[in-house]
Amino acid sequence: MIALAVFRLAAYVRSHRVHQALLLTLAMLAIVYGSRAPKGTEAAVLADGAVLIIPILAWATRSLLDTEPDRQRELSAIMVGGRGKEVGAGLVASLAACAGLAALGLGWAVLLGLSERPGRDVLGAALVLHALAVLAGTALGALTSRAVLRSPAVSIMSLVLGFLVMLLLSASPAYWLTVPLVVWMRTAGSGELLDQLPQLAAISLVWCLAGLALYAWRRRRVG
Amino acid sequence: MRLLQVSFRYRRRQPFILEEADAQLAPGDVIELTGVNGAGKSTLLRLLAGLARPTRGRITDRPGVVGFAPDRFPTSQPFTVTAYLNHMASVRGGAWRPWAERLNMGHLLGLPLGELSKGSAHKVGLAQALMADPGLLILDEPFAGLDADARETLPAIATEVAGRGGIVIASDHQGGLRGLPGLRSWSVVDGRLKEATPAATGHERDPERPRVTVAVTLPADELPLFLTRMRDKGYQAGEIEDAPALPHPAEEPG
Repeated sequence: MIALAVFRLAAYVRSHRVHQALLLTLAMLAIVYGSRAPKGTEAAVLADGAVLIIPILAWATRSLLDTEPDRQRELSAIMVGGRGKEVGAGLVASLAACAGLAALGLGWAVLLGLSERPGRDVLGAALVLHALAVLAGTALGALTSRAVLRSPAVSIMSLVLGFLVMLLLSASPAYWLTVPLVVWMRTAGSGELLDQLPQLAAISLVWCLAGLALYAWRRRRVG
Repeated sequence: MRLLQVSFRYRRRQPFILEEADAQLAPGDVIELTGVNGAGKSTLLRLLAGLARPTRGRITDRPGVVGFAPDRFPTSQPFTVTAYLNHMASVRGGAWRPWAERLNMGHLLGLPLGELSKGSAHKVGLAQALMADPGLLILDEPFAGLDADARETLPAIATEVAGRGGIVIASDHQGGLRGLPGLRSWSVVDGRLKEATPAATGHERDPERPRVTVAVTLPADELPLFLTRMRDKGYQAGEIEDAPALPHPAEEPG
């Protein structure tokens, strides 16, 4: 399964599709961290970065999974010994690509986006939020990939709308019905992120895993 | 490997593409699958490969290693032939270079997949299917676009795979495997899988040809199946109640 994940990552890089997500990430980082954030706002700025990178990570996942032609996906499933392993390899490759982009985002933010180095606790919380962003982006991108949604137009609209729905829903009292992105930012701005992180991380993790499970279930049905 | 009352349709309320297919595939079988376009041959091959699940019925005892050569190899991938086959060998294990030599692919190895002709791309598909000594080799229109050398090589490769206990099934409009002894012929007609009755073999048509009787040692529980298969192929096969003891190989002079 790891060899198949390496194959898919190699295809993603060699096809130059990786440049799309990389350029989007760099553009987002240049805008968000164009000027160094003042002291005391480290948590808020890092949480903003974790939220804003999610649609880029979703795009990267969708792009990586769609690099492989449908027929090659079938050959890969036979090669690796079943659909389940092929789906798993695709998710592993996507998580690796997204982790790389998220690491770039977090590293840029810490080194170039802040006036002062954040404390260990804030840095730890930012790391958790970026890890959750990787999961959320992977789940959203996988659910809008060609193997699930055949139409490119429907796929792109679903990706954008999916992220907007996450934002809108998480800004409402029913924020627990999705990955609570707005609550991440709100609590980080008010200094409550560290206190509420376990609860927010648990809710976020549940929805990310539900999204990935839905993708795996759909792939079992549609191939 | 067995197909037990296998039916398949892509969606509910759609008609069945394949209905109540029953078949048994034994190690060493080479099967030619025919049918008009859209009859369901590719669907049957996908079911055999495990890419689709039967809507009804089941497929049991599928060999662990399956090789699948598609009718159209997906060339829109950012690899050279060598890089692609190396990746596939990493995924599956096995060596692809001997097969590349046999299929005369030496001049293709450095080319990007996107620059291959249909026949050359088809060879890449065959090499990836063969590299791990598959127990079930599925070939979808294997002769389409192949050059004369590869067309001559392919039946020999199918025979080799079958000879070491593999099952070979090929969807083939061009009859490229017809000369193989013991070839089973399946056809898909109106969603039904049918096996053609073997044509009369040479010894049936020509009673003057010399005949021999051979002894075969096999597990007792496989005897009914073995006898059925031999009779299906037109041979006179029967159980000998008081068979003479066969000499042990170690006791043979020599």
